[in-house]
Amino acid sequence: MATDATPHAPSRPTSDAPARTAARPAPQPAELGLGRLYLRRFVRNRPAVAGVVIFLLLVLFSAFGGRFTSYAYTDADFTALTRPPGAAHWFGTNQGGDDIYACAVHGLQRSLVIAVSVSVLTIVVAALVGAGAAYAGGRVERATLALVHFLLIVPSFLVLALVSHRLAGDWRVLIVVLTVFGWMPTARVIWSVSTSLRERDYVTAARFMGVGPLRIVLRHIIPNLGSLLIVNLTLGVVTTVLSETALSFLGFGVQTPDVSLGTMLADGAGTVTSAPWLFAFPAGLVVLLTVSMTLIGDGLRDALDPTSVTGSAGGRR
Amino acid sequence: MTLATPAPVPAATGAPAPVLSVRDLRISFPSEAGPVEAVRGVGFDLLPGRTLCIVGESGSGKSATATGIMGLLPPSADVGGQVLLEGRNLIGLDDRELSRVRGRSIGMVFQDPLSALTPIFSVGRQLSDALRVHQDLTRRAAWEQAVELLDLVGIPDPRGRAAAFPHEFSGGMRQRVVIALAIANRPSVLVADEPTTALDVTVQAQILDVLRRAQRETGAGLVLITHDLGVVAGHADDVAVMYAGRFVEHAGVEELFRRPTMPYTARLLAAVPTVDGGERRPLVPIGGEPPSLVGLPAGCPFASRCAVALDACRADEPGLREVGGHGRVACLRAGEIADGTLDPAGGAAPADDRVPAARAAAGEVVLRVEDLVKTFPVTKGAVLKRRIGTLHAVNGVGFELRAGETLGLVGESGSGKTTTLMEILRMRRPEGGRIEIAGTDVATLAPGARARALRQDVQIVMQDPLGALDPRMPVSQLLAEPLRAAGRDRASIRARVRELLALVGLDDTAGARFPAALSGGQRQRVGIARALATEPRLLALDEPLSALDVSVQAGVINLLARLKSELGLAYLVVAHDLAVIRYVCDRIAVMYLGHIVETGETEAIFADPRHPYTRALLSAVPVPDPARERARERIVLEGEQPGAARLPDGCVFADRCPLYRRADDTVRQRCRTRRPEPALVPGRPGHQYACHAV
Amino acid sequence: MVRSVLRKAAGWVLMIVVATNATFFLASWFLDPRSNFRELRPVRSEAQIDQALAPYGLDPRVPVVHRWWDWLTSVVLHFDWGKSPTGVPVNGEVGYRALVSAELVLVATILSVVVGVALGVYTAARQYGFADRISQAVSIAVLNVPTSVAALAVVFVAIWLNQHAGLRFLYVAGENSPDVTGTLPVIGDRLLHLILPTLTLTLMGYVGYHLTQRSLLLDTLDADFVRTARATGLTCGQAIRRHALRAALIPTAASVAFGIPAIFTGAVITETVFGWNGMGRYFIQTIAKNDVHGAVATAAFAAALTAIGAILADIATVFLDPRVRVS
Repeated sequence: MATDATPHAPSRPTSDAPARTAARPAPQPAELGLGRLYLRRFVRNRPAVAGVVIFLLLVLFSAFGGRFTSYAYTDADFTALTRPPGAAHWFGTNQGGDDIYACAVHGLQRSLVIAVSVSVLTIVVAALVGAGAAYAGGRVERATLALVHFLLIVPSFLVLALVSHRLAGDWRVLIVVLTVFGWMPTARVIWSVSTSLRERDYVTAARFMGVGPLRIVLRHIIPNLGSLLIVNLTLGVVTTVLSETALSFLGFGVQTPDVSLGTMLADGAGTVTSAPWLFAFPAGLVVLLTVSMTLIGDGLRDALDPTSVTGSAGGRR
Repeated sequence: MTLATPAPVPAATGAPAPVLSVRDLRISFPSEAGPVEAVRGVGFDLLPGRTLCIVGESGSGKSATATGIMGLLPPSADVGGQVLLEGRNLIGLDDRELSRVRGRSIGMVFQDPLSALTPIFSVGRQLSDALRVHQDLTRRAAWEQAVELLDLVGIPDPRGRAAAFPHEFSGGMRQRVVIALAIANRPSVLVADEPTTALDVTVQAQILDVLRRAQRETGAGLVLITHDLGVVAGHADDVAVMYAGRFVEHAGVEELFRRPTMPYTARLLAAVPTVDGGERRPLVPIGGEPPSLVGLPAGCPFASRCAVALDACRADEPGLREVGGHGRVACLRAGEIADGTLDPAGGAAPADDRVPAARAAAGEVVLRVEDLVKTFPVTKGAVLKRRIGTLHAVNGVGFELRAGETLGLVGESGSGKTTTLMEILRMRRPEGGRIEIAGTDVATLAPGARARALRQDVQIVMQDPLGALDPRMPVSQLLAEPLRAAGRDRASIRARVRELLALVGLDDTAGARFPAALSGGQRQRVGIARALATEPRLLALDEPLSALDVSVQAGVINLLARLKSELGLAYLVVAHDLAVIRYVCDRIAVMYLGHIVETGETEAIFADPRHPYTRALLSAVPVPDPARERARERIVLEGEQPGAARLPDGCVFADRCPLYRRADDTVRQRCRTRRPEPALVPGRPGHQYACHAV
Repeated sequence: MVRSVLRKAAGWVLMIVVATNATFFLASWFLDPRSNFRELRPVRSEAQIDQALAPYGLDPRVPVVHRWWDWLTSVVLHFDWGKSPTGVPVNGEVGYRALVSAELVLVATILSVVVGVALGVYTAARQYGFADRISQAVSIAVLNVPTSVAALAVVFVAIWLNQHAGLRFLYVAGENSPDVTGTLPVIGDRLLHLILPTLTLTLMGYVGYHLTQRSLLLDTLDADFVRTARATGLTCGQAIRRHALRAALIPTAASVAFGIPAIFTGAVITETVFGWNGMGRYFIQTIAKNDVHGAVATAAFAAALTAIGAILADIATVFLDPRVRVS
C-alpha cells in the first residue's frame, strides 16, 4: 500500500504547468555548467555580494588590524583612562586604560574563530545525526528525535550557562560546549529534509542495487542536502556569534583577561550614556559580522536552491 | 462591447457567435537561459456547446494556453494577443476586473484534484462561497444550491457529504467537486486542463461523463486540454494539435483522425499504443525529442524529426493554412499529404528496432511467487500509535516467470501491483507465501555473498527516470554504482560502462553528463542501462513508460523488446496503462484489491477477456479513433476501488461488479460468501479467471 | 478533540518533569556550593563547609541520588523547592518573580506572534513591493542584533525621548518607583515599568514570525487550491485572506512552543539590562552563587512556560484546522 497508494499517473510530465517551468532551474542550466550558474545567480544578488565584501574586510581586520597599533589588548595605558576615540587610541580607551581598537581586533578574532569552528562542527554533527536517523528509520529515528525535541524544549541557554559557568573561560572549551548544546535545531531541519530524500527513487534504487546504508547516506543523501548544509553553515555562524555574545554578556562566556566581542559589550553596557564608544564599536562589529553572514547565507540559498523556502529564521537565538 | 475582430472560421451565415475567441496568444516566461516562449501565437474560436480539444505532449504549451485564457499566469509571465470572452478582451485587465469574469463567465477544472481543494474548508462551504462571490445569496440558499450541484456531478448523499472535508473524498469524487465549482455560476466557457490525468482509467470514464453532463447542463463551450488521443477521439468536436507552442493542425475530429495531415500528428497517431481489437500493429517511434522553447531556431520546429522535411522547412516556419476539406495545417507539404500522394512517415518503419515476431521458447523459471501475502497496519495517533486495522495490500498472489518472458501486472492504483514488486525486490522472507528467485527461496537467504550474488540477478527500472537518478552524479558514475556495490574493479567497471551506453543506444559523451542535461527518453535509457549493469536475469520494470511522452515511448518499448531477445532477460512489468502493457508483455495478470482476478496470454486476454473487471478495464481505455470510440459499447464501472482495510468475505469485486447486479440470488449468495477460485478457460492453457458469475 | 488536546497536554507535563529532573543532575554536577564558603573569612575546613551545607540538602558527601530523592519528595509532597546554599528558601524568592517574568514572556510572545504574523501577511501580499522590501530589511537587521545591543538601544532611545520629548512614563531601570503608594497607582506604576522590557522582547521575537510567516504564505500562494479559489472569482488578495492564510497559520501555531525558550533567553538578558528582578536575573544570580535548587526551579519554570505555550498552540491548531476536529 505504502508504495502503491500513490497514483502513478500524476507524475506524468504532461502538465506543462507554467509556473513551475519558470521557477525551476532545469533543464537549461546544465548547458551552462552548474558552478557557473550558481556563481552568476549569486553575483546578481547585490546584498549578498556586499555581505561577502564586508565579511572579507572583517576577516582582514581581525587578522592584520593589530599591525596598525602599538598597543596590545592586554596593555593598559594608565595615562589615558576612559578617553574618547582620538589620535592615540583610535577607538578610545576604557576605565582600565585598555586600547579599545586593540581589544576590538582581538575580540573580533576570538569571536570569529569561535563562530566558524562551532558552526562547522555543528553542521557535521547535525548532518550525520539528522541524515543517519532519517535513513535508519524505526527505533533509532524515534529515539534520536525524542532526544532532539527534548533538548529543544529545555531552554538550552540555561544548560549552556550552567555548564559553561564551570568549564568555560577558555575559548576552546566554549567551542565544545556551544557545539554539544547547539546542534539540535539544525539536526531537526536536516532530518526533516532527509526524510523526503530517503523516499526518493534514487535512494530506493541504490538499495535495490545492493549499496550499503553508510554509502547511501554519504553518497546519496548528504550530497543532496548540499545547499541546505552550506546555507546552514553560514547562518550557524550568525547563531553562534549571537549565543557567544549573550553568554559573555552575562559573564558565562570568555573570561578575562581574554576578550571577545561579547565581553566588550558587557563591559560597555554600563556606560552607554557616559562613554558610548566602549559599547558602540563592539556592537557595530557584531552587527556587521552577523548581517554580512546573513546576507551571504540568503544569497547562497537563492543561488543554490531558488525553489526552497526553508524559513530558517525562526528560533535562532 | 462588440466583437473586435471578425472571426475567420464560421463562414456560414447565421452561425452562432463564438463565446470565446483567442487571437494570436503569446506567452513567455523568463528563465536563466533566456525567455521560454511557451505559447507562440495561438488562435481559435469556440462556439457555445462545442468542445475543442487541445492535444500535445509535455512542454507543448497547452497548459500555459489554458492558464493564460483564465488570466491565472504568474506575474512574471509576459502575455500578448487577445482573449475575447463574449466580445471582451481579457488580456490586460487587472486582477479585480478579471475576478468578476472568472467563475461567472469562465470556469476551470484542474489536473490534480488532490491538491485543488482547500483542505481546511468543507466542500459545501467552498461551493457556496463560489456561488456567493458572484450572486447575492443568503448562506442558506447558497448551501442549498451547493447541495444541488453536488447532486448534479454525481456525489452520492449530497446533503450529508456537503459538510465533509476534501480529505474525506477519493480522488475521483474530489474531481467531481472541482467540476461543480467550475460550473457553479453557469459559465459560458469551461476550461479543463488534463482533468483525468491523475485518475485511474475506470474513474476517468466517469469523470469525462460528468464533464459532458455539466457541459450539456450549462450549454458552455468546453476547452479540453489533454495528452490522450483516445480522450480526444471520444469527446472533441474540433481538435487542435500543439507542438512547440503553436497549433500545427486544427481540424474537425473526424477529418483529423481520418487523415492526419501535419506529419507530427500522423507520426503521433502511429506511435500510440492501443487496446482495441485486431492485430497489434508495430509502433513506429518518431525519433528525436521535442525542441527546447528557449531560442528556437528558424524554420518548422518539427523539421529535425520530420521524415518528409524539405530545405524550405528549415528556413521559415510555416503558418496555419487552410487545406481544402480538412482544416488548417502548418506544413508546407500539407497539400500533398492531404490528397494522399505523400506518406508523412516517409516510407516504412525503421527495420532495425522491429519487435521480433516469434517469441523465443521460454527458458527456465527465473521467478516463482506462491501465495504471497503483505499487510500494512492501519494506525492512529501521533505519539502512541494504536493499530486500528489491517490493510491487505497483497492477498494470495502467485505466478511464475521464465527467462525470455515478460509478465505484466496490471491494475488501478491500490491494486497491490507495486507492493508485489517491492516485496520481490526486498529479498526478505515474505509475510506469507514463498518467493523463489532463480531457484533460491529468498526466505532461506542469509546475508552474505550468496545474497549479494542474487541481488545482482534482480534489478529494477523505475517509473520516473529523473527521480531514480541521483541528480548530483554524472551518468558514468550512476552506471558504475551497481558494479561497485558488486565489488568489481576499476578497469572492468570503466569498460562495462562504455558497453552499457552502447547497449541502450547512447553515445560515449553521455557518460560525462548529469541527468538534468538529458532528455526524458535518454534518462530512461540510462535507467535501463544501470539496471542491466550487473547482467541480471530478471528485470523489474515499475511503470517504465508512464513518465514518458507518447512520441518517446515507442522507442523505449522497442529497446526493451530488443534487449530481452538479445540478453534472454525475464521482465516483470507493473503498469496501469493497458495499451502499453499490450505492447510489452507476453502474459498479463490483472490485479484488483490485492488479488489476481485474471491471468493469461496477452492477446488472449485482449481478444476475449473473461473477468468482468478485466472487461470493464479494457472498455474504459479510450481508443484513438472517433468512429470506433463513439460506437463502442462501454462498461462503465460505478464507484471506485475501495480501500483494502476491510475486505469482504466473498469476491472483492462484488460491490462494483456489473455481473453481480444482473445475477440471480444463488450466484449472488456465492459471490457474497466465497472467494472465487481461479478457473481455466477451456482450450486455452494458462488463461485463468476468478469469478462466480461468468 | 478535547481528549486529543488533553493527551498532548499530558505529554508536555511529562516533558517538564523529565526536563526538571535532568536539570537537577546537571546542576548538581556543574555547580559547586562549597566554593561560596571558601572565599569567606575566617577560613573554614572542607568538613565545616559540608556541615554547613547539610541542612539545605546540599552536602556533597551525600550521594547525588539521595539528594535528588529528598529534593523530589519535598517538591512533590510540600511543593518546597529547597533552599539556597545560604539557607534562603527558593519558594520565597521565586514566587513573585515567577509571576512578573511569566507576564513578561507571555505578553511578549503574544505580541510577537500578532505583530510578526500580521507583518508577514501584509508583506506577502505585496511581495517585492516597497513595504515588503523595507520591512524585510528591518527584520533582517533586527534578527542580527544581539539582544543586549537591542535592549541598550531601546534604553538609549527612551532616555532621549524622556529628555527631548518630556515624556515621564518610560522607565529604563527597576520594576517600580519607590515613592508610589496605593494599590492602583502601584499597579499602574509597575505596568509603566513593563513597557520597555516588553517592547525589547517583542522586537527580538516578532522577526522570526514575520520572516517564516511570509515565506509560508508565499509558499501557499503557489498551491493549487489558491489557484482554484481564484478561478472561482476571488481576487488574489481575497484568495490569500480566505484560503491561503489559514492553511499557512497552522505550522506557525505549531512553532510557537519552540519559540518560547528563545524568548525566555531574551528575558534573561533584558532583565539584566533593565535591572528588573525577574526569573532571568534570578537565574544568573543562582548560577553565580552556585545555588543548585534555585537554578533547577528556574529551569522548571522555563519548561512550564514552554509547555503552556505548546498547549495554547495545540488548541490554536484545533481551531485553525477543522480536520483535527473531525478525526
